[in-house]
Amino acid sequence: MNNYILLPIVGIAMLLLAALISNIIKFEGGANPKDPGKRRFVFWLFFLLNPAIAYAVGLLTSPESGIKKTQHMDSLPVGLAIGVVVYLLIGFVISKVMKTSKVGHWF
Amino acid sequence: MADKLFVIGIGGTGMRCLESFVHLCAIGMFDNQEINVLTLDTDATNGNLERVRKLIGLYSDIKSGATKDGGTPNHNTFFSAKLNLYGFNTDYNSTSRSTYRNISRLTEGESSKQNKMLSDLFLDNNSVQEFNLAHGYRAQTHLGSHLMYHGIIEAARNLAAGGDVSSAERDLDEFIQKISKAGEEARVFIFGSVFGGTGASSIPVIPTALSDAMKVRSQGKSPLDVTKVKFGSTLLTEYFSFKKPDQAEMSTKANSVIADSSFFPLNSQAALQFYQGDPTVQNVYKRLYHVGWPLESKSMDKNNPNKTITGGATQKNPCHFVELVCACAAFDFFNADNLKAEGKAEYLFRTGEFENGAFNFKASDLVGNQKNIDERLIDKLGAFLSLAHITLTKNEAGFGNKGFAGLRKQLEQNNVDSYSTVTDKELDQLDEYMRLFGYNFDSSNNFQSGWIYQVRESLQPGNFIFANAAFSKSIKDLKDLDVGKLYEDENYHWEKGGVFSDTYQTFVKSLTKLSLDDGAHLVNHTKEKFIAHLHDGIMASQSNR
Repeated sequence: MNNYILLPIVGIAMLLLAALISNIIKFEGGANPKDPGKRRFVFWLFFLLNPAIAYAVGLLTSPESGIKKTQHMDSLPVGLAIGVVVYLLIGFVISKVMKTSKVGHWF
Repeated sequence: MADKLFVIGIGGTGMRCLESFVHLCAIGMFDNQEINVLTLDTDATNGNLERVRKLIGLYSDIKSGATKDGGTPNHNTFFSAKLNLYGFNTDYNSTSRSTYRNISRLTEGESSKQNKMLSDLFLDNNSVQEFNLAHGYRAQTHLGSHLMYHGIIEAARNLAAGGDVSSAERDLDEFIQKISKAGEEARVFIFGSVFGGTGASSIPVIPTALSDAMKVRSQGKSPLDVTKVKFGSTLLTEYFSFKKPDQAEMSTKANSVIADSSFFPLNSQAALQFYQGDPTVQNVYKRLYHVGWPLESKSMDKNNPNKTITGGATQKNPCHFVELVCACAAFDFFNADNLKAEGKAEYLFRTGEFENGAFNFKASDLVGNQKNIDERLIDKLGAFLSLAHITLTKNEAGFGNKGFAGLRKQLEQNNVDSYSTVTDKELDQLDEYMRLFGYNFDSSNNFQSGWIYQVRESLQPGNFIFANAAFSKSIKDLKDLDVGKLYEDENYHWEKGGVFSDTYQTFVKSLTKLSLDDGAHLVNHTKEKFIAHLHDGIMASQSNR
């Protein structure tokens, strides 16, 4: 699978992981509940981790040598960028569509 | 139901029953109703009177919108009934009115000799005619009936004469006029005890006093036919005791009579015989609810072990389960389908399961089980107790913080921002109500039990619907409390909503996902909508069980 498809899938997987952890974080009561902030932190943490994880996946899936390796490595930065944009864009849309749920705290 | 509802709370015990009644209104047992409430006492400084008037004032403030008029009746929400509060107390404060001898002016007028002889026949010359009336009739019901009737008629005469009338007299007038206007559609329920105090004095004479007052007030033009109005009352026998007065306390004329709680059982027996046999009572009252407490009477001397409290601000007895039973009696009376104005009084009672020295009450023991009314009481009371813990415990209103403001913030953080116009003062009022209902920690970090905690304490070691965990008092236990698992019967517990979740998460999710139907709740202003939203959130959580 090439990086233009693989790395966005990694981005989506990271997003799903961020959503899962956000849902595990409990609603807090009291005068200054910290849970929305925690969920936002999780979203942006995974946003920062996403390129690093995606790069590692790209390296691990690279052919060993030859022109295929060159093409794979050349497409890595573009695939990374697409993955980051996919993470941000889908994350924003989900947050707005499900604004009364826990992922609604992302934005 | 088209009938107009009226409640009269008489004396200290009547006020505590009224307190339970107000909480039944708060949990939503009297949907769509407007209820007129009269507090009737001899002692304007009575601690229980002050407490219930403060509670009703707070309730009305919670219901009020910008117009501060006590709001309007709502449907299927908390605080759904509208309460109109009136208050009347007889005035025995000035010297000329402080004793029977002074107020009756026995030595004046043409019939002074006969009046004196008649008074001496029924009322002891040296004690009963001389004690200070400011703290009430001190279990002298023969005197109390006479004076309470006199107080009401005197107020009617003052109103008929015009001129300077007190706010208490105006309140009484408005209350009686409403009953008169309602006529056959009026249901009047009276809370009071029969074991000696103001209630025992007043319950037999109230219907006649109201009728005669109306006759005086309208100069005979608009009589109030008490046989057409539906009257009901509790016959609440003794359930508390206090220190026996000693000779030193009774050494002055003003304190020549002090109630002795060791006579309460005897007073109760005599009163019940009277209510069983008296034809006036049987013809005027439609239902009489006999409520008693078969266990040892609770001592009220905890705070004042060395002195007998005769009344005043220090008479502030804690709440008791029997008072909730009386409030449920009023609920039964107001909702009875087959209540007829004609015919003799029905005498009603209920029983509860008693085993191994403890009661195990079910909701059906209080309200029956016709049309699943017991399930409704379980759901409503449980919902309000859950809301109490959500605000007091989870959002820390019981620890001095702003619980309802925290709930509103929770909604706003989940993009539900319809309630930003509810003011901080209005949210603080809701917190204050919850503290009176549930609990709070005072400035010294001492736990203070609210109404439902006190009711539960009075039952122990018995049970009533809720688990022991629902009445935690330590900070650690409260922090661990699960707001949807308050019932003894686990079938009523809310669903957790996930492995890592608890029932508070279920509640917040329900709260943020539902949208309010204003029309279904008959709510008008934003604060009522906020309350209805919280109500629906809890009901949705309950329905997930």
